[in-house]
Amino acid sequence: MDSDEEDFVFYGTPIEREEELTSRKKKAIAESSGQLRTLPAWKQEVRDEEGRRRFHGAFTGGYSAGYYNTVGSKEGWTPQTFRSSRKNRAEFKEQNILNFLDEDEKAELDGWFLGTSSQFDTFGFTAAEIARKQAEKEQKQRPSVIPGPAPDELIQPATESIGLYHVILVESWLKIIYFLSPSCYFVGVKLLLKMGWRRGRSIKDSHADALYDARRQARRAFLAFSSDDPKVKTSESEQNKDDVETFLEQSTNDDVQSSKSTPVFVLNPKQDLYGLGFDPYKHAPEFREKKRSRLSSKGGPGYSKNMSTRNSLFSLKSGKSAPGFGIGALEELDAEDEDVYATGFEFEDTYVQEVEEPSTLRLENQKKKDQKDQKDHDNLPGFRVASNTDYQMERFEAPPIPKDFVPRHSFSGPLEINHKNYDLPPPDIPPPEDSNLKILIEGVANLVARCGKLYEDISREKNQSNPLFSFLSGGTGHDYYARKLWEAQQKCKDKTKPLLDGKVSSDVKRLTAESRGQILGEKPLERSLQDSSSSVASTDVHLQFNLTDTFTKSEPFGELPDVEKPFKHDPAKQDRFEQFLKDKYRGGLRSTKSSLAGDMSEAARARERLDFEAAAEAILKGKQGKESNLGIPSSMDFITGGLMQFTSGEAEPKKDLQSEDLAQKKKYPRREEFQWRPSALLCKRFDLIDPYMGKPAPAPRSRSKLDSLIFTSDSAKGAKIEEPVLSKNISYVQQSANQDITKSTAESETEGDVEVENIERPVDLYKAIFSDDSDDGGEDPNHLKKVENQEKKAEVANTALSRLIAGDFLESLGKELGLEVPPDMPYPSQKFRNTASQEENINEHSRTNTLKVEHNSEMPPNHGLPSDQDTVYEGGPSKGDVIHANMLESGSTKINATGIYDSKSGKSNGESYKDDMKIKSPLPREQDHSSGSSSEEERKRKRSGKSSRDKHEEYRKTKTLSTHRRDYSSGSSSEEESSRKRSRHHRHRRRTESDPSSDDERDRHGSRSKERKKGSSREKSSRSRKRSKHHKHRRH
Amino acid sequence: MSVEDLPRKEVNVLKGHEGAVLSARFNADGNYCLSCGKDRTIRLWNPHRGIHIKTYKSHGREVRDVHVTSDNSKLCSCGGDRQIFYWDVATGRVIRKFRGHDGEVNAVKFNEYSSVVVSAGYDQSLRSWDCRSHSTEPMQIIDTFSDSVMFVCLTNTEIIGGSDDGTVRTFDIRIGRETSDNLGQPVNCISMSNDGNCILAGCLDSTLRLLDRSTGESLQEYKGHTNKSFKLDCCLTNTDAHVTAGSEDGYIYFWDLVDASVVSRFRAHNSVVTSVSYHPKENCMVTASVDGTIRVWKT
Repeated sequence: MDSDEEDFVFYGTPIEREEELTSRKKKAIAESSGQLRTLPAWKQEVRDEEGRRRFHGAFTGGYSAGYYNTVGSKEGWTPQTFRSSRKNRAEFKEQNILNFLDEDEKAELDGWFLGTSSQFDTFGFTAAEIARKQAEKEQKQRPSVIPGPAPDELIQPATESIGLYHVILVESWLKIIYFLSPSCYFVGVKLLLKMGWRRGRSIKDSHADALYDARRQARRAFLAFSSDDPKVKTSESEQNKDDVETFLEQSTNDDVQSSKSTPVFVLNPKQDLYGLGFDPYKHAPEFREKKRSRLSSKGGPGYSKNMSTRNSLFSLKSGKSAPGFGIGALEELDAEDEDVYATGFEFEDTYVQEVEEPSTLRLENQKKKDQKDQKDHDNLPGFRVASNTDYQMERFEAPPIPKDFVPRHSFSGPLEINHKNYDLPPPDIPPPEDSNLKILIEGVANLVARCGKLYEDISREKNQSNPLFSFLSGGTGHDYYARKLWEAQQKCKDKTKPLLDGKVSSDVKRLTAESRGQILGEKPLERSLQDSSSSVASTDVHLQFNLTDTFTKSEPFGELPDVEKPFKHDPAKQDRFEQFLKDKYRGGLRSTKSSLAGDMSEAARARERLDFEAAAEAILKGKQGKESNLGIPSSMDFITGGLMQFTSGEAEPKKDLQSEDLAQKKKYPRREEFQWRPSALLCKRFDLIDPYMGKPAPAPRSRSKLDSLIFTSDSAKGAKIEEPVLSKNISYVQQSANQDITKSTAESETEGDVEVENIERPVDLYKAIFSDDSDDGGEDPNHLKKVENQEKKAEVANTALSRLIAGDFLESLGKELGLEVPPDMPYPSQKFRNTASQEENINEHSRTNTLKVEHNSEMPPNHGLPSDQDTVYEGGPSKGDVIHANMLESGSTKINATGIYDSKSGKSNGESYKDDMKIKSPLPREQDHSSGSSSEEERKRKRSGKSSRDKHEEYRKTKTLSTHRRDYSSGSSSEEESSRKRSRHHRHRRRTESDPSSDDERDRHGSRSKERKKGSSREKSSRSRKRSKHHKHRRH
Repeated sequence: MSVEDLPRKEVNVLKGHEGAVLSARFNADGNYCLSCGKDRTIRLWNPHRGIHIKTYKSHGREVRDVHVTSDNSKLCSCGGDRQIFYWDVATGRVIRKFRGHDGEVNAVKFNEYSSVVVSAGYDQSLRSWDCRSHSTEPMQIIDTFSDSVMFVCLTNTEIIGGSDDGTVRTFDIRIGRETSDNLGQPVNCISMSNDGNCILAGCLDSTLRLLDRSTGESLQEYKGHTNKSFKLDCCLTNTDAHVTAGSEDGYIYFWDLVDASVVSRFRAHNSVVTSVSYHPKENCMVTASVDGTIRVWKT
């Protein structure tokens, strides 16, 4: 507070906060000099004329938004508290421009707002405010012990002189109002009323937060005045109070709501014995009324009436307002104005009642009555509750249910059977005496069971007059029929059930029968039926058919009442037919001996069987037709195969089709499942949890073919490094013939070579270099296994590719990949010469010498090549687990470490390189190399010998390669940094380079496996990264 | 739903495409429909009133498929120019183009949240593209197919692709599994049943096959139409009671879902009916044809 500062004495000039000052000043200077203009748009900052950074363009430009461009306030941002109460609705806060303005801006805008002025102080509020302000001002001038806003008590003495004047003014105005009739208000008031203003509302936006506090305080001040009035002006006070009260009465009569705008002095003596603030009727306000009425009956009629009136008049929105405190003239009742300790009784000054009694009595009477009426609102005054009402609940009848409605969905056709199956079985009834009738009943029952209820209905309809069929409509034998029908249905059930699923199921069933036969190891049944003459093809064709026919329908069909003889002309055939029928309806497995015509060919037999089948169907149909007097084809449609279908001519192709279909169906649809890894982003976009979350990143699906080459662990030598690099080269060329990339790879390779030249301990060095690589190789199969089989295939192909040694490696590869050999091959060699000449300066070796050395160093690998492949299968997987575990354990940390390591090694690289060059002695090196490598080889793995020719070829290859490679050694360090891709390669290589020292030690300790592990884990990250890169490239 | 309720009455003919219409699709609520065709345009229609609303031109070659987000704010389309276009519906501007397919793009779909576009291409791959970020790379490439991918369907958790290699592959993102159903015949079009339990696959042997998604077994086959060389659409009706598809002879076929009988067939177009799309709620259907018209059918 300012008042605090008043207490101190300051010497000297205050030091402004430097950064603020400087920045502002700088800005100002920059602006003045026009430097800002020169700044790019995104560096320019918007400032107001005082150099403050403000949020511009909000309204008219240049206002700051919120509290220093934030949404909060000085105390921070507090969300609106949730208020839920029936009475206290959370208020909707309207935002106002004032909320967004700075003080100075507000001051600027002051003139624009409509407000009460002291010249025309309608409610005396402005006066109060002015008084208040004045008081504050005075307060400021005096040193105060109490910090904070000027308390009301302090204001009083200070404002007395001014206050008095204003109070008088207010009172006089009030008087005027009361003495005039309500119609002759001031024009301004009238106007405001017409504009929608109501008494008790401030003209300014009452919700404006900025003004809220001030108004509240002003109100308090006002209250202070009024409470002070009696002391100051005893003569006028009484009158004044009277006036106030009269005003209240009048205004209520006017129906103008002004109660809020005028102060009321309410005395609320405590008349009960309850504790302070205790309200016995808190939750039961209706009893309060009762109690009051009881009280009032004691106190006298006038009193009570007044009380209730007051209650109704002054019951504010919230129901309770603090007794003793009025509400500010321009104030709305707020939550905080409520009296926490309200007793629920609002007592008025008795003397007010005395004054007003005669005038208000009548009115109150009525009002009270009204109120009472409303309370028990079931009968209005003058109305009586009727004893009987005309009103009746109208009821709507449910729509009539059709008589034939069955509350169950029914499928047309055979499906119906199934529903019936669930019915309770009818009691077992002995068959009727009449055997004919019995047969008939059974036959019909069977038919109905197979054909559905429809058939029964139809036959009943048709045979209404026929006494033989009376069992259908409840005549003799009906019970037996019902029983039979149920039995037949039960029997049909198994057969028809699959039909529910659709027709396919029948096919499926056939299929399963066949497959079941296969599973059970059943002999193909056609063999038993087979004649020696039958062709293989025909058996093939018939296989399916036979299978399905082997199992006959199981339902008993009774005896055919009158077997027609369709093959009368051919008794033998007729016999066979009868036999066929017998078999057919006997059920079970068809006897293979059944065919009486043993001399018939298979095809003929099949045809005949079809004929029989058709005939049987025809008989059946004929029978049905007889029964119903009329063929009803629609009801029989479902019986598979009409008569026409089974003519022998058509049978064959149909069979063919069928079997073909079946064969196909057997094959398709075929379901397979694979693992598939959705990308994390895809999961995110689908709003799903990544099923592979936390698992190691998958090896990219289609990696560069040659990148997946596999290296052996220990025995790997220069050639090994050669090969991958070469292949990389090729793949790069293949991808984009990007010279830079090839350069980089070659470069990295040459660095490896350079290291090779540094031969204090060639074996260790080699191991250091190549064991890493080989670990990579070991890793690869591991990864592959994890991923997909297809990749494995690709890799096998790759290894095969890598094995390609005949002729010029590059050329052959180029051919293999269908690519031309990169034309830039000679170019590198040219370059090499330059670099070599540079090197000569350093270590006085001829170019050829170094070349030679390199060749030598690359010789051993030729030996090692075959073992390379070996490790793919031997070493790789066994190692894989360890490596993988390692990787899992320390994924990111390792990466980081390697990164650091790389950078370090990168720095030291150049120097060490030079040192190495100096140290090396050309002559013994060759020997060293060969011996070292060979010993290593022996130590580590038995090696399959390699043909000398292979060696030679390899040598040639490496030779070309080395020249090719060498030239890239010129790559400067700056070049390395230039391309990310390249640097990655470098990193990889460099690590291998910088390893030697540590690796030496390790080797001395003889813990090779450890080293390998370590190396591999370190390698992992870079390796995978590299791979992914390759992968990307592949995807161009 | 009885046969009478099938949309067999022509209500509107939407003319405007110059050349074959390759695809016509209702939007999510069925109030509008989108069509695309060989004239390199996408058109937005109100099929119920027969009004042409807007034309989207930007494709360099024929447009093969189009899909609209469920909030109708964005379109995606694909076609012979190997790109997927991501449009703003209201302005008709292309927001983004997704390049990457090595061949024509046959089908394209939004996911439920309209955040991913999945495209099926002649390059034997399904690619998913991110609409939320500005990356031009596909989020994922699914290239397990061994032939051109003809159609793609998306559910909340799955990507389903139908390919000419005869497989319908379901990629379940939630489980991380690929399920391949080999039908033995090139799959032209796949359509989900509305209950999500079945897939209807239109195969090039003039057969529609209904697959149970959970078991992968064939539930039913629908034959009668001809579909031997064109990419034709098939779909189920809104109630899943019938199966409908166009035919190369200009007919439209309706089959009963359960017993696979041809319930109705009528000549709808003069030429190959390339696309059928059924209204999601009402008995209404739009069909597109090589004859350049889109017809709206109601009961």
